[in-house]
Amino acid sequence: MKNMPEEPKCACGSANVAIFTCAGAVNIGQLSNRIAIKLEKQGIGNLMCTAGIGARAPGLMKSAETSDRIITIDGCPLNCASKTLELAGFKPDRQIVISEFGIKKSKERGLEDQEVADTLRKVMEILQSK
Amino acid sequence: MKIEILGTGCSKCNKTKEIVEKAVKETGVNAEIIKVEDFDKILGYGVMVTPALVVDGEVKVAGKVPSVDEIKKWIKK
Repeated sequence: MKNMPEEPKCACGSANVAIFTCAGAVNIGQLSNRIAIKLEKQGIGNLMCTAGIGARAPGLMKSAETSDRIITIDGCPLNCASKTLELAGFKPDRQIVISEFGIKKSKERGLEDQEVADTLRKVMEILQSK
Repeated sequence: MKIEILGTGCSKCNKTKEIVEKAVKETGVNAEIIKVEDFDKILGYGVMVTPALVVDGEVKVAGKVPSVDEIKKWIKK
């Protein structure tokens, strides 16, 4: 599986939603990215590179600027993805913190399929609320 | 000057090309207009949503059709 979308998405048609993850070096950081990939496959939004925002990469910055909505997925309360966006001048419309689902932070980065599925269900519940 | 329009041939990408051509004509600048449809090249610019516009290697906009006035500002020396 690739970590980036197979191709850039056209902004034609539906709302242009950007998803940024912390992709941190712990289980819940890796889980944030895995969930975002699944959300993109379901057409919820476009996964974008948070590190590119940190680096102020022009293509990424411009892509984020024209997003109708920004969703951030952080693994833990350090909120690195959300803070990275905020430091670059963006205000996330919706933030999800994976650790709030009761998953303990650890250096074990191998993700179980069931854990991914359960987390995705919880994330979808949040995104579909309000 | 090199102006690249990044996109896959969607309606917004085609519209962007039309607007770029109009802006170039009205300003009279000497510009080479190139339509880039290669995904690898588009991603190489860090662009995640199209259409996008690149002027002399610099990404000016991504994910929306720019206005003629915006383009004129970017291409005027």
